[in-house]
Amino acid sequence: MSVVRCDGIVQIYKAQDVEVVALRDVDLVIDEGETVALLGPSGAGKSTLLWLLAGLLRPSAGRLWLDGADVSRLNQRRLDRLRAAHIGMVLQNPARNLIGYLSAAQNVAFAQRAVKRDRPRARDLLHQVGLSDAGDRPAGRMSGGEQQRLAVAVALANAPKLLLADEPTSQLDEESGTRVVELIKRAAADSGTTAVVVTHDTAVSEALSRTVTIRDGRVGAEGRSGEDFVVVGREGAVQVPPEYHHLLPPGSMARIEELEDGIALRRAEP
Amino acid sequence: MILRGLWERRTLSLVVLLIAIVPIASAAVGPIYSAAARTTIARDAVEAAPLEGRGWRYTTTEGAIEAKVAEFTAGADFTSRPILGMETTSGRPGDRRAYSLVWQDGQCEHLTLAEGRCPAAAKEVLASQASGFEVGERIGLSSIVEFVSAEGQRRPAKLEVVGIYRPGPADDPFWFGRTLFSPTGEPGENKADALFTVPQTRLETYTISVGSGLRDQSGWTDYAIVYIDLERFDERDVEKLAAMQAAAESAGRNTNAIVYSRVADMLKAMTANTGSLGVPTLLVIAQLVGLGWMLLFQTVGDLVRARGAEIALARLRGHGRVRVQVFALAEPLLLLAAAVPLGLLVGRAAAGAMIGALLPAGVPVFFPPDAALAGVAAMLGGVLAAALAAWRTATRPVTEEWRRTPRRTARGWVLDAVVLAVTALGLVELLATGVLTDVSGRSSGAMAVPGLVALGVALLASRAVPVLTTRLFGVTRRRGGLGPFLALRQVARGPVTAGSVIVLGAAFGLATFAVSAWSATTGDYAEAARFHNGAATAITVRPVEPNRLVAAVNAADPGGRTAAPVIKMPGPPQLIASDPARLAAVGAAWRADLAGGTSLAKAAAALPGPASPRVWVRGDRFRAVVTHDKPPKGWTIKLFATLRVPGQLRPGHIPLGELTGRSGTHEWNLPPGCERSDCELRAFTGEPIPPPQFAASAYVRVAVTGLAVRDQGRWRTLDLPQWRVDEDPGKRDGAFAITMVGNQTLRPVTYDPEMAAVTVGPVGRKVVPGLDNAFADPVRGVVTSAAAPGLTDVGVLVDLEQADRHAYGVHEKAEFQVWSSLSDTAALERALERQGLTVVSRRTAADLAASFAGQGPGLALLLLLVSALAAAALALGRTVLALYTAARRRAYELAALEASGARVAALRTALLLEQVITVAAGTLAGLLAGLVAAGAALGRIPQFAAPPITPPLPHEVAVAPVALVVGAALLVSLLAAVVVSELLLRGIRVERLRDAPA
Repeated sequence: MSVVRCDGIVQIYKAQDVEVVALRDVDLVIDEGETVALLGPSGAGKSTLLWLLAGLLRPSAGRLWLDGADVSRLNQRRLDRLRAAHIGMVLQNPARNLIGYLSAAQNVAFAQRAVKRDRPRARDLLHQVGLSDAGDRPAGRMSGGEQQRLAVAVALANAPKLLLADEPTSQLDEESGTRVVELIKRAAADSGTTAVVVTHDTAVSEALSRTVTIRDGRVGAEGRSGEDFVVVGREGAVQVPPEYHHLLPPGSMARIEELEDGIALRRAEP
Repeated sequence: MILRGLWERRTLSLVVLLIAIVPIASAAVGPIYSAAARTTIARDAVEAAPLEGRGWRYTTTEGAIEAKVAEFTAGADFTSRPILGMETTSGRPGDRRAYSLVWQDGQCEHLTLAEGRCPAAAKEVLASQASGFEVGERIGLSSIVEFVSAEGQRRPAKLEVVGIYRPGPADDPFWFGRTLFSPTGEPGENKADALFTVPQTRLETYTISVGSGLRDQSGWTDYAIVYIDLERFDERDVEKLAAMQAAAESAGRNTNAIVYSRVADMLKAMTANTGSLGVPTLLVIAQLVGLGWMLLFQTVGDLVRARGAEIALARLRGHGRVRVQVFALAEPLLLLAAAVPLGLLVGRAAAGAMIGALLPAGVPVFFPPDAALAGVAAMLGGVLAAALAAWRTATRPVTEEWRRTPRRTARGWVLDAVVLAVTALGLVELLATGVLTDVSGRSSGAMAVPGLVALGVALLASRAVPVLTTRLFGVTRRRGGLGPFLALRQVARGPVTAGSVIVLGAAFGLATFAVSAWSATTGDYAEAARFHNGAATAITVRPVEPNRLVAAVNAADPGGRTAAPVIKMPGPPQLIASDPARLAAVGAAWRADLAGGTSLAKAAAALPGPASPRVWVRGDRFRAVVTHDKPPKGWTIKLFATLRVPGQLRPGHIPLGELTGRSGTHEWNLPPGCERSDCELRAFTGEPIPPPQFAASAYVRVAVTGLAVRDQGRWRTLDLPQWRVDEDPGKRDGAFAITMVGNQTLRPVTYDPEMAAVTVGPVGRKVVPGLDNAFADPVRGVVTSAAAPGLTDVGVLVDLEQADRHAYGVHEKAEFQVWSSLSDTAALERALERQGLTVVSRRTAADLAASFAGQGPGLALLLLLVSALAAAALALGRTVLALYTAARRRAYELAALEASGARVAALRTALLLEQVITVAAGTLAGLLAGLVAAGAALGRIPQFAAPPITPPLPHEVAVAPVALVVGAALLVSLLAAVVVSELLLRGIRVERLRDAPA
């Protein structure tokens, strides 16, 4: 069963009287228990897609189903409830995920406020991220790594069906990063949590079951089991991965050769 | 969690708390101060009232006075203990005068014992010196009897004189203004001075009704004098006072009690004056609370916005809308809740300090329920601000919170347009209405103009500053360095700039207006007081004959530089009579520009009239030789001479007998006073007495041909003066007509019939009162001025000598004063007392100006001044803090600039310039707004409870106080900018770049 289903999502926002298309015709299906790494250059639309999946934005066009519910048909109250019960999110800057003057336990409890408070789970999560002995120390006084681990614990506080994380290991050393990734993978394995992680860290992307690369607001490529695929878009568009640009640079012309199971692109010399 | 959050944002929380306290305190100060001001006004009204206006004399012939008075004063804890008394009136065999037998509780303490002792037992009395009684003498009064046998035989009770008293001052409140004895100690013609006894006399005697001869059980009248005790009287008692007065007025209708009082007149004055306080005070409070709200609005908004990340986090975690709102509101609401009691306490303390400093000592400071309500209402502004800010934060897209460059939302014009439209309407109303004379509320919109103008100009300035800086921004791109470039960019785009300019502009606008209004109004009060008082000090003395007043002043101030005699008549038109030379010498209030450039000396020099010799008469008998027509048959024609007698203000008339038909000599004894000093012959008049039936009216022409006076047995012929007939001014031959209609008066021409006068206002050919209040003749204006010393309305200033010659006597309405150029008149007063004058009171121009300041509008203005300055200081502090907070948010950007090679000096310049531009723009906008408001409002909004008709008020704004306020604000803001810049620069470290931008 798919937890996330994007059907031709378009996201446009207005900045300084200019309309910017952040996402265009994104089709994406993520099944329960999948762990997906969202890759792509800065400004490609990864964070926008993540915010859409969190129900924080409503798509300008296209349809988005979260846990089977059509987001466009949910009112704000139901959307809030959906987020409270089924979605956990780790923001890019770890400090932003936390209330600085609250302790680790209080931060986890704050995330559980909208649903049933689960103290054992909170304790367990803190133990898993290595913060069981954080005590009453305010989150604002924790190190960047501690804050990031706590942010993951907070995001998992409500036992979400969908965990969204934006660069969850950006401020962590290798060991801590591994612990966070393990935590995400364990959540997926144990609870069937679906994880979508925006990352630039190849270690993270490699550790997850699937990669989705966003380029220029489109899903340009996907990777499964260590192999990368380009994705044929709605209008048949295919993005040539950057690593092949020296063969087929942007702006060049190519010939399409039909093969039995597809096509081949060959540079056409003018 | 809430407390932790407040501690986390302790600086901002503290600022919110402080800023919340201010409008709450301002709102609470108003009712507390207003109540105290009303108490002051109410007490002043009681104090200014005549004795009868300060209490009641409850009189009954039915006994049980104590119970009746207790019922009358029930619930009024502001009344003094009743002074009980009883009296009865009786004749005395062989004496045509009426005698009052009186007991008043505490009487002996208010009478000066000349001989003997106070009565202590029944039938003992205390008699006055003027009565001629001696200690030990026994007096019998016709109506007061005692029974000498069991069969009912009675005789006048023998009242033993056990002491002799000298009359005390007539204005002793103990007597409630009654004339129980002649204050001068002279025996009266019809009424003898009271005999004072003790209550036992009533028990051991009986009174009989005159004529009936019957025993009368109730021949005594009981009375009680109840005064308002100023010490215990405050504004809360006014309602009860009115109820008591209503009860007093109805007592005569419903019972046999008579309550005598002039409290009704006093109440009317009190109500009018307290009414003049209400609306200006309310508007001052409203404007201050409005300003406080604005500060609160921005600061509470800052607090809510400071929690934006937390609120976004709550929304991210799926908290419902209500929960998010509660979460967002919790901290500001807790602060506001804490601010209420603190604000009320601060308000109470501030009001106490203001009342102590500005109002007379002894005015009680109490906390009316209105103050608490006003405080809570002011706090609700903060709740509204918090709710709006929370709503905005809770409904804007969550993702906006995490954008690196948050999208700017354009500031709407709706609120600005509403404020500007209301301001324009208020201005139009104010300018179209002209001078507002009604302070009771109908023109409240116009009175709110200062605050509206301040806000309107501040809003416009907040729009103009970014536009102007955007223009200059282009210039700094090319030259001027990095500092000005960064500063102008920040000012141009910063929402902090707009908010700060609005708050500063509005606050300083109101403060500038308050200072301008205060300086102009203080000047106006001083100018009005200078003219109304006449000179620096006006000493009121007991009435004496005008020539005695003049002589006493001449003797007390032989140099003629420090004192001038003045007699004032109320009119209308008012009349001020004075010695012109002295008037000019003592520096009486005068402005040549109001009198067509004529100086007071020149105007005064034009006032004296002809100095024809007056007809002085000294001796014991007066003789007039007259020729006259034969009176018609059956008519009796009586001839009278009118004399000015020393010691008497009213003219004395002596009969010169009937005109028999034969011309000749008519004589009569002169009043005793003419033996000791000169009397003045003022007129001859006649009285025609017709027969029971007559066909035609009598017309008898009489001519005075000779005058003589007998002194020490020898007759002395007097020179005949030039004559004038009042009703026929052309007649100068000493003849006049005695008729039923158009009866004439013959007067020696010793004066100018139309006195030379300085006229103020449209006097024209109106008759003026004269010293005798006779309204006989108009005056001849020699100088026209818009104001003259001592005149509060249309009136004239004349020469005292001429006025005295012109009048038959001096009316009781005349007020006798000595004007002095001195502020300390103790020595002069002693000198005047040595000359036989009795000083009643003195009033300096400063006292009068202070009394103007104590009226409703003046008290409201003081409240505005103090509170507006406090609000301006707070606005300045809030602005500096907002700029600091805004700059701190840019610490990352500044660190980046430093890392990229920008010099610290350039960053310092940028921070300094940014703050200076913002603060200077706000302060100068406030200065402009305040001056515009002052220009529009001064002269139109009320400064006095009853606006004076003269002098024309200058409404001059003193530059120094305004410059001081603005200069101090700029200086403080510059210092604050330097400190803030240095603090911020210390916080800029390249290491911060490792952190994510906040």
